[in-house]
Amino acid sequence: MGTENPGRPNFPMRPSATPFASAPPTVRPFSSSGPVVGSESSNVRPAPPGAPPTMTPFSSGGPRPPARFSDPPVPSPPLTSVPPSGGSYQRFVTPPFPLAAQAPPARAPLVGQPPFQPPGSQVSVPPPSFRPQTQVPPVPMGSPPQNVNFPPSSANVPQPPSDSSFSGPRPNFQMASPLPDHSATRSSFQPPFPGYPGKQPAVSQAPSPFPAQQGSFMPPPAPPSPFASQQGSYAPPPPVAANLGYQSRDQMQHPGSAPPTGSIQSLTEDFSSLSISSMPGSIEPGLDYRTLPRPLDGDLEPNSFLEMYPMNCDPRYLRLTTSAIPNSQSLVSRWHLPLGAVVCPLAEAPEGVKVPVINFASTGIIRCRRCRTYVNPYVTFTDAGRKWRCNICSLLNDVPGEYFANLDATGRRIDLDQRPELLKGSVEFVAPTEYMVRPPMPPLYFFLIDVSISAVRSGMIEVVAQTIRSCLDELPGFPRTQIGFITFDSTIHFYNMKSSLTQPQMMVVSDLDDVFVPLPDDLLVNLSESRNVVETFLDSLPSMFQDNVNVESAFGPALKAAFMVMSQLGGKLLIFQNTLPSLGYGRLKLRGDDIRVYGTDKEHTLRLPEDPFYKQMAADLTKYQIGVNIYAFSDKYTDIASLGTLAKYTGGQVYYYPSFQSNFHGEKLRRELARDLTRETAWEAVMRIRCGKGIRFTSYHGNFMLRSTDLLALPAVDCDKAYAMQLSLEETLLSTPTVYFQVALLYTASCGERRIRVHTAAAPVVTDLGEMYRQADTGAIVSLFCRLAIEKTLTSKLEDARNSLQQRIVKALREYRNLYVVQHRLGTRMIYPESLKFLCLYGLALSKSVPLKGGYADAQLDERCAAGFTMMALPVKKLLKLLYPSLIRIDEYLLKPSAQADDFKNIMKRLPLLAESLDSRGLYLYDDGLRFVIWFGRMLSPDIARNLLGPEFAAELSRVALTENDNEMSRRLMKMLKRLRESDPSYYQLPYLVRQGEQPREGFLLLVNLLEDQMGGTVGYVDWIMQIHRQVQQNA
Amino acid sequence: MAWDLIFWVVCFFINIALLASSFFQLLSLSDLEADHLNPFEASTRINSIVLPEFLLQGFLCISFLLTWHWFMFLFTLPIAAYHLMLYLNRKHLLDVTEIFRDLNTEKKYRFIKLAVYLLLFTVVLFRLLSASIFFFFAWKFEELDIRTSLFY
Repeated sequence: MGTENPGRPNFPMRPSATPFASAPPTVRPFSSSGPVVGSESSNVRPAPPGAPPTMTPFSSGGPRPPARFSDPPVPSPPLTSVPPSGGSYQRFVTPPFPLAAQAPPARAPLVGQPPFQPPGSQVSVPPPSFRPQTQVPPVPMGSPPQNVNFPPSSANVPQPPSDSSFSGPRPNFQMASPLPDHSATRSSFQPPFPGYPGKQPAVSQAPSPFPAQQGSFMPPPAPPSPFASQQGSYAPPPPVAANLGYQSRDQMQHPGSAPPTGSIQSLTEDFSSLSISSMPGSIEPGLDYRTLPRPLDGDLEPNSFLEMYPMNCDPRYLRLTTSAIPNSQSLVSRWHLPLGAVVCPLAEAPEGVKVPVINFASTGIIRCRRCRTYVNPYVTFTDAGRKWRCNICSLLNDVPGEYFANLDATGRRIDLDQRPELLKGSVEFVAPTEYMVRPPMPPLYFFLIDVSISAVRSGMIEVVAQTIRSCLDELPGFPRTQIGFITFDSTIHFYNMKSSLTQPQMMVVSDLDDVFVPLPDDLLVNLSESRNVVETFLDSLPSMFQDNVNVESAFGPALKAAFMVMSQLGGKLLIFQNTLPSLGYGRLKLRGDDIRVYGTDKEHTLRLPEDPFYKQMAADLTKYQIGVNIYAFSDKYTDIASLGTLAKYTGGQVYYYPSFQSNFHGEKLRRELARDLTRETAWEAVMRIRCGKGIRFTSYHGNFMLRSTDLLALPAVDCDKAYAMQLSLEETLLSTPTVYFQVALLYTASCGERRIRVHTAAAPVVTDLGEMYRQADTGAIVSLFCRLAIEKTLTSKLEDARNSLQQRIVKALREYRNLYVVQHRLGTRMIYPESLKFLCLYGLALSKSVPLKGGYADAQLDERCAAGFTMMALPVKKLLKLLYPSLIRIDEYLLKPSAQADDFKNIMKRLPLLAESLDSRGLYLYDDGLRFVIWFGRMLSPDIARNLLGPEFAAELSRVALTENDNEMSRRLMKMLKRLRESDPSYYQLPYLVRQGEQPREGFLLLVNLLEDQMGGTVGYVDWIMQIHRQVQQNA
Repeated sequence: MAWDLIFWVVCFFINIALLASSFFQLLSLSDLEADHLNPFEASTRINSIVLPEFLLQGFLCISFLLTWHWFMFLFTLPIAAYHLMLYLNRKHLLDVTEIFRDLNTEKKYRFIKLAVYLLLFTVVLFRLLSASIFFFFAWKFEELDIRTSLFY
């Protein structure tokens, strides 16, 4: 429901839009004056349907007592039927069109007031939030293309109609009953307000002066997903031209205003706000938690960027923290959020979308002579097609003869349609021999398996051997794939797998101080040739060591041995480690249980590798193109901080299965190992990101090692890894209107072809801070924040990391507030850009995430470090899912008689992560992308439990495994879990079952993850907002 | 007298060695920054001479103390103490994995060290000259011993 407030010329207007379908009618008045503070929260409460909404500020005739510009404290009864999530989250719109005169905000409007006063209505007519049109947000448009994506919704067109024309329709409207009258209303309103495009189709298109009310009167027909409509905010249009332009589009839209909730966003709003004030009648200051913004729709990629520059690569590959690049140093320093990008070069494309592969063959790859930029859609051809101008350094390059094509009248190459590299933001070039320092390596998998007693007991070896065996067919790169194994306990066991043998030969090396490789080759064999030997080995591996009672682990020497075997070729080293390395180099000691270190300056050393051996080893591994993935299983301390270093600097990842038991965790290990082995992998890769003159990427964050100042060495990279980087301005002033970014990943594909994957994107340069905020991308910002905070935990205390995160959010919001504080009376409202409405919540989630939360007791050291390594590599979407997991009520879906597959989407309604969301009669599914928690309410009907769990339904749930039973409900649940898993195959989510009140499992499995709640020493969402707001206001 | 001259000659050469090592490290770091050197090579190069440099510098510092050259001792003490601190915290070697992140601090640290060594160099050179002059012409310029006025 938009709030297109008809601009009455002499009215101070600031239309406020409530974006939520269910949002309560809240048009915020000028609530800035002091005395009002206490009264504002009435706005936040949903009004009962039909009840006159409270929109009263200037009510001259209304029964409202208080000061003119204030909200009267109208305690509207909270509506229970309103979904809690549908908060009244408002957007304040500043009319973008400057009028010459600045009308005094308050008094002037009253002049026109009387005629509109609806008799006896609680609603005082002039929408209070109107402001003089002169209050123009200073939005100089940085770059022309921004116009492109204005949604057909503009507002605040100064209306020609005189006041009298309003009086007619208005009463009519007020009496209008919800839906049926909608069209009538609309039509009656239409003529006089031609310039008032609907903001959100259904409801808001009626250009009524009471849009917010409409919202409360008529629930929009679309599925009430309250936040659907929120996308990035758009820039206000450049003056009148946009109006005219949109007028017609707007009208065209009206007929078909079947409203997909939240398709279009208003461009009218400048910022969103939350009122922070006490509720009437309550002492406790606060805000209604239901009104707070929550990312219940998951991550929304910033599509405005893509619309502006349709030839940009997809946001799944490259996301900028703000799609508007600041033009000056001073602007950068006022943008307190990270400025940079998150790159996921090999992100999985949806079915059917493929990155085109281009082979220039004899021409050679077309690149800029000076800056080595690859040819891309933004280069321009001149001189009748004989030259091309590099978009990054603007050097004129010659077009090679074979690549020459004439230009047509508009300057486009005539063969443009056959040149995907000139059309698409993402392409792959086949690299000729100049891009190779050696022949492309074959895909190589090497396994380093701990076979000490704890590994045997946990059943890990068996699962691993089975999984590897079952994946042999799917390993990429047949028939070149190479494979090898080393096992170790207190000695190192090598296996000769020569294809002529029928059985592998085992060689034991027990000299740990001077490791040598007993056989020059045949330890690493071609899989297709030695297939039988490998299979025999894997079949016999579990039984070979089943009686092993060795407790020692010569991890370091074994790693060295593996390194020696692999260093010829490079490849992927998978390490399965079950105990703390205790012999030879790199032996580690127990150090994680020292509670006294926490809170001191030495705290961070626990999260760093203890022995320099690990860093040195990691560097050597990277140098020889070996990527390491660590699988750690121990229930005791294994020093993931040290082991994980190997994965961190070789572009790998850490899988951690605390207290691994094969009968319970086996499936998870099986799936994740299989994914690791079979996903498309880029070998011996290097990545570089180039950008236009004047800016430079200065720091890189993620799991990799820098080979030179801007070259990331990635021995083995796949679709589940993302890298973040921050940029800075080199020159004080950027003169170009657009900057370009180009990510180039040079790698060897599993098929043996050397390729370069190139992603190109453009972003406008702006001069205005407001624009930067409007184009901000919360996902990328949070991703960078996450990486920065985790890095900070490596050099200082957890608390410092959390504080600095909070400080940056506060600074950013304060800067933003300062932008508007002069023109708008903000009072006690908290304002933030629409694009960053989830920033606070994600900040909270981040400081409650495993690597950052609490202190000693809140998470085990190993768990913390493992989560840290994982989060350093996660792509944006998965990170956001992990930070704000989904909570879904599923019992209704399971009970529904004929639930079809197509209503799957409907039931996936995410709930806020509050204990209050849990109904003891329900069955809930919590999904953070790494695991499922299924929560059985205490009063859940026993039938459901019996159907799902079988005869053991009453048993203690920690011992019950979820298996498919022979009934519809169970099948449906399993199908649902399967679908959820398929939506994100990078990790396998193991279901944990927990019953309400079953402590302490309920506590640490679910309750502690309900991050909006206040929980033992941590703040809840509401308090967090209050806290941030308070800090923002200090010396604001 | 001859001992004094020999001492200063030794100091002079040690100082030259320190200067050279610092300069070499700085050069390697700049090469690394300019991509003429890969981090593996740069860190091996630098790390291989870090400890010798520390030892030399420590030796110089202690020999100043033992020969009762208080001013020179105090002059070299801060760096020696800093070296010791780095060594005890095991931070004296370059971390090859994070070398680019630390590049600027490492360069700054070495620049400062280079400047201090240069200063030390001038002083040592001066003392060397005065010692040699004193040694060769002692019988002539006894009354003009500048050292007494400046450094004692």
